[in-house]
Parts: sequence; structure tokens; C-alpha cells
Amino acid sequence: MKSLAHIPLSQPQTIAIREAIETACKRIAPTWPLDQFIAVNPYWGFIDDSIHATAARIESYTGSRMVMPRSFYREQWRSGALGREHLQAALDRLELITSAEELLDSLEHEPHAAPRVPLMTSMVDAQRDLLHGMSISDFVTHNVSQHCASYFDQCQSSWETPHKMSLYQSWLHHARTDMSPWLLMGIHHVRHHARTLPSEPLALIEEALTMLPVPQEEWSHYLTALLMSINGWASWCAYERWQARLSHRDDDHIIQLLAIRLAWEHFAFVRLLDSNEPPAWENAWRSIHAWREQGEHQPSVDWALQEALEFAYQGSLCHALTCVPTNPGSTVHAAPAVQAIFCIDVRSEVFRRALEDCSDEIQTLAFAGFFGLPISYSPLGVSAERPQLPGLLAPKLHATDSTGSETTDQETLQRRQRNLRLKSVLKDFRSSATSTFTFVESCGLFFATSLLGNTLHKAGLGTKAKDSDLGQYASLRPCLKKGREEGHFPSESLCDLVARILTNMSLTTNFARLVLLVGHGSQSMNNPHAAALDCGACGGQSGEVNARLLAGLLNDTTIRVGLLNRGIAIPDSTHFLAALHNTTTDEVTIFDEDRMPQSHTSDLKRLRNWLQKAGHRARKERAESLGINAQDALAPKDLLRQFQLRGCDWSQVRPEWGLVNNAAFLIAPRNRSRGINLQGRVFLHEYQSALDRDGTVLEAIMTAPMLVTNWINMQYYASTVDNRLYGSGNKVLHNVVGGRLGVFEGNGGDLRIGLPLQSLHDGNTLRHTPLRLSVFIEAPKSAISEVIHKHQIVKHLVNNCWLHLFQIEPGKNTISRYERGRWETAVSGPVKADDGFELTIGSAHV
Amino acid sequence: MTNLLQLWQSQTAMLLCAPPVLYLLGCVAGQLVPAHGLSIHKAWSMARVASSGALLFSLASGIDAIFHAPSLVRGPLLFSLGAFGQCRLSFRLDTIEALMLLLVTFLGWVIVNYSRAYMAGDPKQPRYIHKLMLTLAAVSLLVVTNNLLLFLAAWVLTSLSLHGLLTLYPDRRLAVIAAHKKFLASRLGDLTLLCGFVLLGSQTGSLEMDEVLHRSAGLHTISFPLHVAAVLLAISAMIKCAQLPLHGWLIQVMEAPTPVSALLHAGVVNLGGFMLIRLAPVINTTPAAQRLLVVAGCLTAVISSLVMTTRISIKVHLAWSTCAQMGFMLMECGLGLYALALLHLLAHSLYKAHAFLGSGGMVHQAKLKSMMPPRPALSLPAAIVGGCGGLLAAAFGAHLWWLHPSTDADTLFCITIVGLAVAGILAAVLTARSIAVSMILSAAALGVCVLYFGCERLFQQVQPLAFVTHPRHAVLVFAAVCFVLLYMVQIIIRAYPLGRFATALYPWFYAGLYLDELFTRGTFRLWPANQISQVKHRRDAAQPFEARGVSL
Repeated sequence: MKSLAHIPLSQPQTIAIREAIETACKRIAPTWPLDQFIAVNPYWGFIDDSIHATAARIESYTGSRMVMPRSFYREQWRSGALGREHLQAALDRLELITSAEELLDSLEHEPHAAPRVPLMTSMVDAQRDLLHGMSISDFVTHNVSQHCASYFDQCQSSWETPHKMSLYQSWLHHARTDMSPWLLMGIHHVRHHARTLPSEPLALIEEALTMLPVPQEEWSHYLTALLMSINGWASWCAYERWQARLSHRDDDHIIQLLAIRLAWEHFAFVRLLDSNEPPAWENAWRSIHAWREQGEHQPSVDWALQEALEFAYQGSLCHALTCVPTNPGSTVHAAPAVQAIFCIDVRSEVFRRALEDCSDEIQTLAFAGFFGLPISYSPLGVSAERPQLPGLLAPKLHATDSTGSETTDQETLQRRQRNLRLKSVLKDFRSSATSTFTFVESCGLFFATSLLGNTLHKAGLGTKAKDSDLGQYASLRPCLKKGREEGHFPSESLCDLVARILTNMSLTTNFARLVLLVGHGSQSMNNPHAAALDCGACGGQSGEVNARLLAGLLNDTTIRVGLLNRGIAIPDSTHFLAALHNTTTDEVTIFDEDRMPQSHTSDLKRLRNWLQKAGHRARKERAESLGINAQDALAPKDLLRQFQLRGCDWSQVRPEWGLVNNAAFLIAPRNRSRGINLQGRVFLHEYQSALDRDGTVLEAIMTAPMLVTNWINMQYYASTVDNRLYGSGNKVLHNVVGGRLGVFEGNGGDLRIGLPLQSLHDGNTLRHTPLRLSVFIEAPKSAISEVIHKHQIVKHLVNNCWLHLFQIEPGKNTISRYERGRWETAVSGPVKADDGFELTIGSAHV
Repeated sequence: MTNLLQLWQSQTAMLLCAPPVLYLLGCVAGQLVPAHGLSIHKAWSMARVASSGALLFSLASGIDAIFHAPSLVRGPLLFSLGAFGQCRLSFRLDTIEALMLLLVTFLGWVIVNYSRAYMAGDPKQPRYIHKLMLTLAAVSLLVVTNNLLLFLAAWVLTSLSLHGLLTLYPDRRLAVIAAHKKFLASRLGDLTLLCGFVLLGSQTGSLEMDEVLHRSAGLHTISFPLHVAAVLLAISAMIKCAQLPLHGWLIQVMEAPTPVSALLHAGVVNLGGFMLIRLAPVINTTPAAQRLLVVAGCLTAVISSLVMTTRISIKVHLAWSTCAQMGFMLMECGLGLYALALLHLLAHSLYKAHAFLGSGGMVHQAKLKSMMPPRPALSLPAAIVGGCGGLLAAAFGAHLWWLHPSTDADTLFCITIVGLAVAGILAAVLTARSIAVSMILSAAALGVCVLYFGCERLFQQVQPLAFVTHPRHAVLVFAAVCFVLLYMVQIIIRAYPLGRFATALYPWFYAGLYLDELFTRGTFRLWPANQISQVKHRRDAAQPFEARGVSL
């Protein structure tokens, strides 16, 4: 029997180990807590490698694949969504020597699995009788997962871990006395061996790595495979690290987790040595070696199929975008009555189209839904802050609410704190060990009314205000908190910020009388993943605070003076209004009307009318996908009610479809796409290259919103192709962990990240067709290339095939594709919009 | 023929038999989907109609029972539809049954309505409808039957159809393991129950519940086999109510969809308590059975409620809570507090159904909690003052409802329990910084006491059991001491969370005192061979359908 004796390490070895740890930890992308559940590209740690190599690696780490099963592509082929020309184009692009015929043959059978990086726990399982005993891999996952949950939990358990030790040390402390491996698994030596383990995670990793039979060149792969065997908690630890690094600190929970998992490998290895069977790892490493020699990162046939599917979609989109009769001079509307600025979210596309159909006088634009305000927010009377900005950024400003009067604020604050205090005591009464019995006997019968109410959907129709539990005070308005520790937020820099926001929106001239800033939020009940349906750019919250805050700033006269000094003249007749688009019901709520000048009353009335009409149109378009029968005979009110019912139904697992089926990102003036039915599949960002002479706006868009759309796109992609590893499985089994950390699927197991199956699949068909994002930018090639060269991350995304990049020649109908540093023409010249060509694209639906 | 005539004459019998029959019709709907191509929407509609109908009929039978109130005071209404040997299709209705039937049909209605949207798109829906409706039919039959063998048969059917729901996703290995554990525990419970009923029948000469109760109450000397029967009944109830150490299955069946958990925790696991309340006169003949219930129930309540506070996921937290609540209910049965036990059964079912079905709202709760100010540290003096205040408040609540602690040991016991429960609220009064908060909290504490004893008083009217019971001071003191200890442990943990006591205790309760580990390991030994081959090991990656998300 071996134990971890202190083996002296050579200097290069130590360095190699540190590098392997760093590489492995870097591979894991963060996952946000459920109450701020923003989309993340789970492959983010791999983007410096090509997507094809990543797929091969992930398969060797976890056994799961990054493309759909062949049967899926076979169906696409049979349904005609995939044509021979697409297959050929994909083969050419990937420079595969396979012919289209061979590719078609390959549709008939699933590919061979790649060899797996051997983990000691799996090798022990291979020797165990799994029919009459529990699998040690399952046991280890359960053990580590429960420990992490109790370590990170701050909401669920009221008797918390009494150790103020680190993650690793508290685990070690527990392992030294824990009897469950012995009682449950019949493994006797764990407690004994835990006593010999070093108490520093790095020391353990060093010693274990040198002792375990893992070739040095495979260390980083082995450690990555280990972390991915407990991927959910690794992602949580990566989130801790991500947050720490946003505020210029560091965090090593992920290394500690790695140490815990490696300790289990050590226990398993000792067990393998004790059993007298021949060591299985030698063969396993040999086949991994052979597989690497073959060139593991060549794109496989499956990638050709995936690429072909994307070609099919891009073809129809290119066609539609170049069919628009272009008149280069008309990037600016003559005189819009209303300008409405929406989020870039794909759901906005449906509503914008519906709204524009109401009148030519409406101009809509799109911008990231946090409206460029880097804020964190805490409701009045609450000390906890929540970020209201994309996860890539750290908040720079702090917002709260105010009624405008100091005394009323103080009263509201006290009332809220009192209510929260009462709620907290009553919550204790409900769940503490002694009182829970009396709670049931005295209050339990009253739950009959809640059951009755919820079953009859009496929980309250209509848009629920944010933080409604705190008590609503209509006069509360969001405002920037003044006097943080850095001192006042200087109003000069505030003017700079607002000017930059308007410039990035391409809205610096020609303001309409009413400018509507539309944030968005969703409405669902009893839904652990509710935040996934809210505005991702606002950190998984509703966009209300940001929209109201910016509208307030833009109506402020001192700010307007500041803007004038910066060359942006907002006419006095222009008023900014904040609104919230409820994406579940397509209703739009307008805020702070009382602050609007009398002169705009009739404008508002007209706008309201349009918004209602647009809401109805949008609902009619969406009804079918939700299984709502929207005959023409149905009164608008009744149709609305059906949607509202979904939002307040506690048993509804699909309140809305979210960003399902997203496929492209169009960075162009709205004129490029106005009038085209993009089917809610396209993110839209307003951009006019003519106004952006130095390219700073384009740079901002390509380094922020483009990354966010990539994160969303890849979250849906990964949850669809690999729901086991990157999705959260079946929603009906979800079991919320630690109040907000994440969910278990069922009783335990690893923390589940990503989207549930119900958000992707309607029972009959997959609602999300996994396509990598196709980004279309209407800007000069040189400007785009410049951004690519300047920013490493953008370069990785584009060159390593994590997204497709297209350029639209400004004002012309030529589209080029970015191909390994070169531009290749995809569509050129004017295309006639006749032959009854349907201006509906993306209907290559599965 | 005369039986049939009797049936027609009595509309109550019709009303009473309607729920199981309706559920069975709904159950057929589930089977028609694969067999005859019935659309799943129609099947759900049929299930909803059946469950709504069952609820209406049980309401009607309750109202009908009120009109027959004079006879209810004397005894239950009885009907018989025929007999097969000793197993007679006989039914009964009194207030307890009426309430229980109302509970079951109400939960059935809630759960069916919930499941329709919740399970939408799941390929297992036909099987789900079939098993769900069958379970409801079995439970509602169990509630209204008067024949012990039919009672047992309905219980076995409940367990078996529920097994089908727990293994709805047979590719989930852990689900199959948990269901298998439940299967083993339930069969053990069935066996003890069968023995108990056979002994009971042989001693009283009848298997009709009313006869058995009547005759056993009239016995002057209790024979040894009757004692044994009572103890066996108590043991069966303990097994079926998931008492320690046979609780593991209840904790691990979160592998089934949420509404199944709600049904199990609110409508099935408490049937053991229902049986004890039903057969109270038999249990009361045997002090050994009562002591067993008190000791097992009390220990389960105390241990499980502490384990509950260490759990980190909502559903497992709720499962340990059920385990504790069932222990508390059995303890009340053992102490002879049947009115409270019935109240507990009903109130817990409603609460737990709501808690499970709404468990997705936990994120919302957590968001609210993160906004709450940090909990002020608890000081020992505050906890002690709170405890004393709680006892006074509880005594006041009891006094308000004409329950007098000076004469009545039961009431004294209840005051202890309630007093310790509201002590936490009163301790918070002491640390509150605003007068308004203190006032509201004090009022809340008093309100809870008044509500509690009011409910107790009400249920004493509903459940007017007047038994000559044995002196129970010893068990009352035992139970009271257990809860006082629980309170002390809890305040020490809260006051000194990093102290030596809390640190030493935590690993044990975190591990659930290791009570379930050996049982789990044992269940693998008893694994039926044919079932194994169907269960694929989850770690194998080759699960294209489930993994790819196409199968939902």
C-alpha cells in the first residue's frame, strides 16, 4: 500500500504542475447563480483552440460530443432542409477530402467513440459489480457535490457547516471522520488515508500527480477531465473566480475542488493497487497516445454536417438581406414621430416588426438592454446589491430608488426593513426544528386556500412589478446613488457616459418628439430558471431600472447642456420615456408618465395605441409555438389573457420560448432589415458606419454585444447538443440547491448548469436548431479587420470557428464571408426581389 | 339483492363509491392513449373531469353526512356491496373518513391540474396518467372501506401503483434504487399489517372495522394475541410512515417528478397515521404499542428535524421535514392525542403539497432572503426568556379555549410544545430594535397560540373519541423532555454556531446519523436480477436520446 509520502519534486516538475493546474482551471467556464442566471458560453475556456479540436478533447474528457447525433442530420437531409450544395460547400470550407456521397453514407451510422482519459474512479468501477453495489464514480460525485453545496450554501440550511475552513480543508476534516464510504461502499481505507493527506491543496495536487500513473505530458488533460467529471461545481468555482477577478482579486476555490477530486483519485488508485488485477491505465493511456498521433483535432465528418446546416441557414439569410431595395441615402428617417429603442434580444425582433407595421412614423433601434449603464442596483431599504449589467463587466455606478423627498425615503426604508425583519422571523418559525410542528398544526390548514388559488390561477394576472414583495410605492424612481467611497460621480464623466451611449446607439441627431427606451423582462411563476428569460444584458434582471435611469438622465437639463457641449443637440421638444416589454405577454408598460410634459399627451396616446396593436400582432405570431389557438375570431383581450395565464401558472414549465432558435446577429442600420420577417432568430444592433469614422463604435459592438450574443448562442447550442454536461436536464425533477446556487436533477448528483430540456424541446420537436452564430456587419472590411487584429478574444472567436463572420458592403448588396483572414464574396450584385420570393427566412425549421 | 337494494336506498353510498370509480375511469384514459390512439389532451381532459368529479362527490358525501349527523354521533354509516368470503365490499362514513376523503380528492384535483401543464411534452404521460389515477383510486378506496382485508389490498395497490410513478424514468439508476428501497420497506410493512389484521380478526371474530372496534372496546381482558396485533399495527404504521431507520426511501424519491413527490408526501405517507386514528381503540388496549409509537415517533421527530436543518436542497429538506412530521403525528397517536393527530395529518398534507408543488419558487424566496437584514445573534438569556414567555403565551391560548393545564396533563404537554415553538418569535421580540416590530411579533406569537388551541378544540369536536386510556404520564414526560432537549440543542447551536458542541454534533446530523447507509447497501443484495439488466449505468456516455435532449 502506498501513501502520499513527501517525494521531493524537481523545480521543472513543480512548474509543469502549476501550468497544468492553470490550464485545467482556465478551461472551465463560470455559471451564474439562479437569481442572476445569464447565458454563458460553456466552452469559453477553450476558445483559444479551434472548435474542432475542442470537440475532440471534450469527448476524450467526458465522452460527450459537441455536435448532434447523425440521426438528426439525416432527418434534416430527408426533410430537404439540407441540400447537396450545402454539403459540398461545407466539405470545401473544411478542406476535407471526403466526397459528398461518402458524407451522405456516413449519415446512416453513428461515429466511433474517441478513447477516454482514464480516471482511477472509473477504473475501479470497471472492476466492481455495479449491479450489487453502488458505482464509486456516482458516490464520489455525490460526496463532493454535497460538500460543495453545504460549503457554498447561504440560503437553504439553517445549521451551516460549523467550520470556517477553506473548501478543501473542511472536506479533509470531514473525510477523516466520515464513515459513509465504509458503510455504504464497503471501502475501509478512506478515513485512514485522509489522515495522511497534506492540508494544502497545492501540496496534495503535486504529490498526487507525481504518484499517480499519469504521463507528464497528459497532466493538463487529466486534470481537466477530473474537473469536468464534477463540471457543475467546477463551473460554480469558476464563477467565484470570475467575480473575484472582475474586482481585481483572485480566488482559488477551483483549485481546492480539483484537490478534493484528486484525493478521491488517490483513494481509488490505492484500491486498484490492492486488487490484484493488471493495471488497466496503461492500455488506456496508450490508446489516448495513438489517438493523438492520428491528429485528434482535424475536423471530423460531423463538423461538415453541422457546417452544412449553417450554410443552409446563411444562404437564405444572405438572400433576404440583399433583396432589400437599398437607397444608401436614406439611413435616416424623414421625421419619425416616435423612436423606440429595444434590446438586441431576438425576442425584440418580433415586437419591433409588429410595431413598425403599425405606422411608418415609428422608427425602432436596438441597443444592449442595459442601455450602456454599468450599474449595480439595490432597492431602497435593502443593503444587498445586484449587478444590472452584462456578466463580462464590473459595475462602476450604483443605483437605488428614491421618492425625491428625504423624509419619505426614510419612512419607506424603515417600513421595508421592518417588513423584511418580520418575514425573516416568521420564516424561522416555519422551518426551525422545534417550531415546525406547531407551525403545521396552527397554520397548515390555511394552505388549502393557496392550493385552491394557485390551481384556479388566481395568483394575479398582469405584469408583476419587480421586487413586489418589498411593497410597492408608486412614487419610487431609480436614481444613481451619490457619494460612494470614491466620492461623487462627477457629472462631467456622467455626461461623457451618456454621450457615449447615444453615439453607440447611432442616435445623435434627428430626435423624435418621443423616444422610448424599452427594457425587457419576463413573467413566470415557480420557475427556478426564471432569470434565464429576463434580460441577459441586465445580469438576468428585468431592464426596468436601466431604462428608467437613462430616460431620467436624458431628460435632465444639466445633462442635456453637457451633451450639447459634446456636440449632441437634443431638442427641447424631445422627451425620453422608459418602458418595459414583458416578453411573456408582449405587453409594454410605460413608466414615469407623470414627469412627461403636457404637450406630449396626444403623442403618448397614439403611441399607446400602437403598442397595443403591436402587442396583439406579436402574440398572434407567437401563439402557435406555445400551443395557443389564435383563430382570427378570438378577441385580442382573450388572446392576451391566454398569455397572461401562462405567466402566472405555477405548473407552467414553458412560460415562453426565451431566445430559442437564435442563429444570427445583424449589426447594421435597421433599414437593412426593416420589412423582413427574421422569425425572432436574429439579434439586431443598430449601427451606421457612416457616423462612425474612427471605428470606435464598431470596436465597442464587436468586443461587447458580440461576445454576449456568442455566449447566449453557445449556451443554447451546448444545452441542445450536450444536455447531460451543459444542460440542466428534465425540469420536472429539478431540486433547487442552496436557494440560488443551481439545481440538482433529482435527489443529488452534480450541480446542473445550462438550460433545462423543456426550454429547448416541446415534446415533439426540438425548438432550438443548434447553429453557431452568424454575425453580419454592415461596415467597411478594413474597419472590421482592424478590430479583429486588435482584440485577441475576437480573433479567437472568428478564426477558431466559434462564430461565422460576414460583411455587408455599406449601402450595397454585396456580402463577403471572413475566411481565415481573407474575405470571400458570398453574394454579390443586386438581386431582384421578384419571382414571388418569400421574404421570410430561417423557415428551414426542424 | 338486498344489499343492492340497500345501496340504491342510500345516496350516501353512491356518493362514497363514486371517487374510486371515477379515478379508475381516468386511469383507463391513460391506457387508451397508446392502445387506441386517444390524444394526450383528451386523456388529460378525462383525468381532470374524473378528479373534479371525485372532489364534487366527496364534497357531496360530506354534506350528506352532515344531514345524517344524528347517526354519525352514534357511529358511522355503513354499506355493503357484497362479499367474497371474508373480504366484503363494505364501506363506512363518519367525520374522519369524510374529512380524509375530502383531503384526498382535493389533493388529487390539485395534482392532476398541476401535472397537465407540468408534464406537457413528456413521452411518459400515458403511463403517468394511468399510474397517478390508479394511485388516487386506491387511496380513496382505502379511506372509505370498512373491511380490513380490502383496506390492506387497497394499501398494497397504492404502493404498487406509486412504484410505477417513482420509476417513471427507468433509465435513472438512482430512481430505481430508491423505488426498490421503498418496495422492500413497503412489503415488510404489508407483511406485519397482514399478520396484525389476521390476529385481530381471529381474536374479535370479524374483519369488519366497526365490528372489530366495537368488540375490542367491549373486551374486559385483553388476550395476548390482541396485544401482539396492536404492536404489529403500530410497527406497520411506523414502517409506512418512514420512521427511522427505515426512512431512506422517503428521502431519496426526489428522482420522480415534483407532483409525484407532492402526492407521496401529502397523500400516501400519512396513511399509517390514518390507520392508527381509525383503529385507535385497538391501539389503546396495548400500552406497549403506545409506548413504541411514542418513543419511535418522538425520536424520529427530534432527529429528523435537526437533520432537516443541515440539508442544502429544497426537496431533500422537505423530505426530512415529512419524516419528522410523521414522527410527530405517530407520537401524538401513541400519546392518545388523536384529535391533534388528525389535525396534524390534514394540516401537514395541505402544507406539504403546497411546499412541494411550489418548490421552484425557492429561488424567489432566496432572493428575498438575500435582501433581509442579517439575523441578530441569539443570546442564551434571550432564548430562556423567550421560552418562558412562550409557555405563558401558550397557557393563555389554551385558557382562551377552556383548556385547563392544571387539571389536564395532555394540555400541559401541548402548552410545552407550543410554548417552545413560539419562543423563537418572542426571543426575536427582545432583540428587535423597533417597538412596532416587537408589538407585531408578540401579537403573532399570541396569535399562533390562540390559533393552535382553537384548531385543537375544533378537532376535539370532530374526533370525539373518549377512551379510557391508561395513565400516560411517563410517556408524556418522556416526549416533553425530548422536545425541551431539542429546544436546548437548537439554541446552543444558534448561539454558539462555532462552539465545541455544534462542531461535534454537525457531522453526525449531516450524515443523517449514518442510519440509511447499511440499509441501502443491503438493498443491493436483494436486487431482482431481471430488473438489473434494464438499468443502464448512468456513467456510460452512450445515451444519445436522453443526452441529446430529443427524447423529452
